[in-house]
Amino acid sequence: MTTIRAKKAFPWHIVFFLGPGLLIYLTVSVYPLLDTLRLSLYNEEMNGDLTFTGLSNFSKLLFDVVWSDPFWNATWNNLKFFVVHMLVQNPIGLLLAVLLSSPKLRMRNSYRTLIFLPTMLSVVIVGFVWQLLLSPLWGITENLMWDIGLGNYFDAWLGKESSALFTLSLISVWQFVGLPMMLIYAALLGIPDELIDASVVDGSSAWQTFYHIKLPLIMPTIGMVSILTFVANFNAFELIYTVKGALAGPNFATDIMGTLFYRTFFGFQLQQGSLTMGAAVATLMFLVILVGVALYLFLFQRRVQRFAL
Amino acid sequence: MADVKLNNIKKSYGNVNILHGIDLDIKHGEFVVLVGASGCGKSTLLRLIAGLDEITEGELQIGSELVNDLPPAKRGVAMVFQSYALYPHMNVLKNMSYGLKIAGKDKAFIRKKVQQAAKTLHIDHLLERLPRELSGGQRQRVAIGRAIVRDPKVFLFDEPLSNLDAALRVQTRVEIGKLHQELGATIIYVTHDQTEAMTLGDKIVVMNQGRVEQCGTPLELYQHPITEFVAGFIGSPKMNFIAAKVQSIEADHLVLRLSNGAITKAFVDVTSCNLDDDVTLGIRPENLSEDSDLGERISASVSLVEQLGEASYLYLTLSDATEMVMRTSGESTTTIGETIDISFNAESAHVFNADGLALKRHRAGNTKSPAELARLKAIA
Amino acid sequence: MNFALPMKHNRGKALVTHAVLMTYTLIALFPIFVVIINSFKTRKAIFNDPLALPTPETFSLVGFEEVLLRSEFGLFFSNSLIVSVVSIFFVLLFGAMIAWALTEYSFKGNMLIGILVAMGIMIPIRLGTVSILDLMSSLHLVNTLWALILVYIAQGLPLAVYILSEFIKQVPKELKEAARCDGVGEIKIFFTIIVPLIRPAMATVAVFTMIPIWNDLWFPLILAPSDGNQTITLGVQQFIGQYVTDWNSVLASLTLAIVPVLILYIIFSRQLIRGLTSGAVK
Repeated sequence: MTTIRAKKAFPWHIVFFLGPGLLIYLTVSVYPLLDTLRLSLYNEEMNGDLTFTGLSNFSKLLFDVVWSDPFWNATWNNLKFFVVHMLVQNPIGLLLAVLLSSPKLRMRNSYRTLIFLPTMLSVVIVGFVWQLLLSPLWGITENLMWDIGLGNYFDAWLGKESSALFTLSLISVWQFVGLPMMLIYAALLGIPDELIDASVVDGSSAWQTFYHIKLPLIMPTIGMVSILTFVANFNAFELIYTVKGALAGPNFATDIMGTLFYRTFFGFQLQQGSLTMGAAVATLMFLVILVGVALYLFLFQRRVQRFAL
Repeated sequence: MADVKLNNIKKSYGNVNILHGIDLDIKHGEFVVLVGASGCGKSTLLRLIAGLDEITEGELQIGSELVNDLPPAKRGVAMVFQSYALYPHMNVLKNMSYGLKIAGKDKAFIRKKVQQAAKTLHIDHLLERLPRELSGGQRQRVAIGRAIVRDPKVFLFDEPLSNLDAALRVQTRVEIGKLHQELGATIIYVTHDQTEAMTLGDKIVVMNQGRVEQCGTPLELYQHPITEFVAGFIGSPKMNFIAAKVQSIEADHLVLRLSNGAITKAFVDVTSCNLDDDVTLGIRPENLSEDSDLGERISASVSLVEQLGEASYLYLTLSDATEMVMRTSGESTTTIGETIDISFNAESAHVFNADGLALKRHRAGNTKSPAELARLKAIA
Repeated sequence: MNFALPMKHNRGKALVTHAVLMTYTLIALFPIFVVIINSFKTRKAIFNDPLALPTPETFSLVGFEEVLLRSEFGLFFSNSLIVSVVSIFFVLLFGAMIAWALTEYSFKGNMLIGILVAMGIMIPIRLGTVSILDLMSSLHLVNTLWALILVYIAQGLPLAVYILSEFIKQVPKELKEAARCDGVGEIKIFFTIIVPLIRPAMATVAVFTMIPIWNDLWFPLILAPSDGNQTITLGVQQFIGQYVTDWNSVLASLTLAIVPVLILYIIFSRQLIRGLTSGAVK
C-alpha cells in the first residue's frame, strides 16, 4: 500500500498576513531610506536631471568650508545636546525611579503620572511654553528668581549664543525625563524582593544595596535608555525649529543635524534647497545613528548581560 | 550562647493583625521548625526575627541582647531564602563573600572563610560559576554557604527545599540535618511540609492564624496533639476525624457513639466531659487495622486502594458517608468495592471537644503498632 | 543612610523622598499650569500678576475668541484625529498580522523580514524624508492626509510588530491546535482566536502609536503644510508664528492644544504606564 501524500499547497495565508503591512513598510520606509542613500551619490542639475557624482557631496559636507562649517557646527552642537541629556536627564530619571520604587511609598501613582505628563505633550507646545516662561518680556522666571534671591543671575538665555543651546537642552530634558524614569522604574520593580532582603541580611546599607545589587541589575535598561536617547537626540528637530526657527539662531548656535537637514533640503533665505545634498546630510545622520547603535550592540550589550531574574 | 527569646511578638499592617502575640523560647543549638499552612504567619515571624520587617509590639532577644531595633547583620542572623536569592550577576565566590566584604573584612580572611565553607558543602569546584550555570541543588548549597561564612549565631531558613524536586529534597533534607550536627548552631526553619518538620526539628512550632497552636518535640506533637488542628496537621496521611457523642463516662475512659452508630471506647481524661457532649474522635490511619479485634468492629466499604509497596492506603467510606483512610500492610489483598471490618485499639484514640481541644490521653499513645498488638494478642 | 534603626530612620527617609518627588512634580506641572491659568485672563492681568488665578475682574476669554475666529482650530483638530485614528487602526491590524505570521509560521525569509522590521525600531523614518516627498508627489498624495497616514503606518509598524509578537508568543499552543483540529482556517484562527486574546496589548500599542503621531511636526510640515490639511501641532505652530505678540491668542491656542492631550492622558494613563512598566517594551 502506498499512501498518497497531499501536495503541500502554496502558503497563501502567509502572503495574506504579511502582504499589506510589508507593502506599506517597504515602500514608505525601507525604499525611501535606501533611495536617500542612493540620491546622496548624485548631483541635481539646474534642469532637475540627476548625475552620478560619487562621494563628492560628502567631501563637500566634510571638507568644503561653505558646507563643512555648518555641518561640523551642527554635529558638535548635537553632541552637546546629547551629552546634556546623558548627564542631566538620565541621572534625574534614575534618581526619580529609585525614589518611586521605595517600598510603601504613598501617592506613588500620582507622582508617576504627573511627572510623566510633559512627555505626552507635543515638543512644539513645550517649546512655546518655555519660550513664554523664559521671555524677559513676560518676566515670570525673572520675578521668581528675584523672589528666591537669584534675580541678578537672570538672563535672556534663549537669545544668547553662549546659553541658547544649553537652555534648549534643559527644556528637552524637562520634557522627556519621564521616559528614563518609567523604564528604569519598571526594571527596578523587576528585581525580586528576596534579592534585596538577602543583601540587607548580608549587612548592606541602602546605598550599598543600590550600588552592588540594583545598579548592576538595571544596567541593561540604562544602556537601552542611553541608546534611545542617542537616537532621539540625533534625530531631534521640532524643539529647535519651534523656538529658534529653521535658522537655529542666534548665529546657528542651536543648529543640530535635524535643522541642518531641513535647511539643506528645503533651502532658506538665499540658499537654494538641494535634494541631493539633503540626502547626503540624511545619509550622514543615518551613519551616525548606525555607528551609535552598533557600538551599543557590540560594546555594551555584549558585556552587560541580561540576568534572568 | 545564643538563645532566642520571643516575648509576646505582635505584627500588624495597618489594622490587619498578622501575629497575635507569639512567645517562644529557643535554646542555643536547637533546630526549631515553624510549620503551618500558608498564610499562618510563619514566614512573617521569620522575617521579624531576621530584622527584615519591623516588630509592632513585643520583645525579641538574641543572646541576651534586645535586638528589636538592630539591623539584620548586627543581630548575628543569616538567612537562606526560598528562591535562594543568589545575586545573579556575581559568581559563587562573590556571592559568598559579599556579606564579609560589606563588613569590611580583609581579603585573605574572606578567601579562607569561603574556601572553608565551600569545602564543607562540596561546592569548591564551582566558585567561578554564575548562579544561572548551577543546578537547583547547587544553588541551594551556595545559598547555605553564603549564610555559613558569616558565622551567624542563628540560621534562618525560609522554605529552602520547596524549589527542589522530590528526590533532591530528601537528600538535601538529610544534609541540612547533618550540617546542623556539624555546626551546632541555632536554626529556625520555616516550612509548610510536616514531614520536613518531623524529620528535621528538635522542636516543632505549629502555627495557625497568627498564633502558636502547639510547640513541642516531634513525638509530643504526634502523640499528644493538644488541638484538632495540630492532630490533623502532623502525620501523613492525615488523622481521621469522626463525629461522635459521649454515651457514657467511665473512670478511665469514655464510651462514644460514632456518627455511623458504632460504639467505641477512648482512653482519655474524662474530667471535663459531660454526657451527650458532641465530640470528635481522631484516629490515625496507621492505628486502624482490618479484620482484627482490637476493638469494636466498624464496617466500611473500600472506595480506593493506593499501593505503595511497603504499605497500602485504603480509602474507606462508612455507612453514614464519613470518609476515612487506613494504612495497611503492603500484602493486603483488599480490592475496591469490598466491604471490610476495621477496628482500632481504644488507647490509640484521640478525642477533641466541641472547641477542638484535645482531651488528654493517658499513655504515651500507641508505642506498639496494631500489627504488633494483634500478634501479641494471638500469642496470649 | 543606614538601615540601622529602621523605624526612626525610615520616617526621615520617607520625608526626603516625598520632598524630592513633590518638588519634581511641581517642576513638571508648573509651566503647564501657568500657561493654562493665564489663557483665561486679560492681557493686563497676564503681565501684572502672571501667577495669580483668574478672578472675576481679570477673567477673559478674548484669547480663545481670537483663536477660534482667526484660525480653523476645529478643522486642525479633526485632521489630527482622522490621521491618528486611521493610522492606529492599520498599525494594529497590519502589525498584528505581521507579528502573527512571523511568530507562527516558519518559512524562507522569516528571519530576514524579522530583522528588517526590527531595524525600523531604531532607525528613524525621518531620514528617508527626501525620497518620501518624492514618492508622495509621484503618487499625487502631497498635501493630503493620506500621505501622513501612510508614513505613520510605516513608522508605527516596527514597534507594534515587536510588542505584539511578545504577546502572541504567550498564547497557549493548545488553543491554536484545537482550532486546527476542528478544521478552522488560518485566517479565521487569527481573527477569532488571536486578535481577541491580544486585545490588551493592542491597547498599549495604540497609545504608543498615538503619541508620536499626534505630536509630530516634521511630516505635516513637509507633506501637508497647506491650508485645510494641517494637523493640530502644525496649526498651532503656524498660528503662533503669525501672532507672536498677541499674548492672549498665543496662550489660548496653547491651552487648546494641551487640554485634549491632558484629558486623553488622564483617561489612558493607566494603560500607558502599565504598558511602559510591564516590560512590554525592552
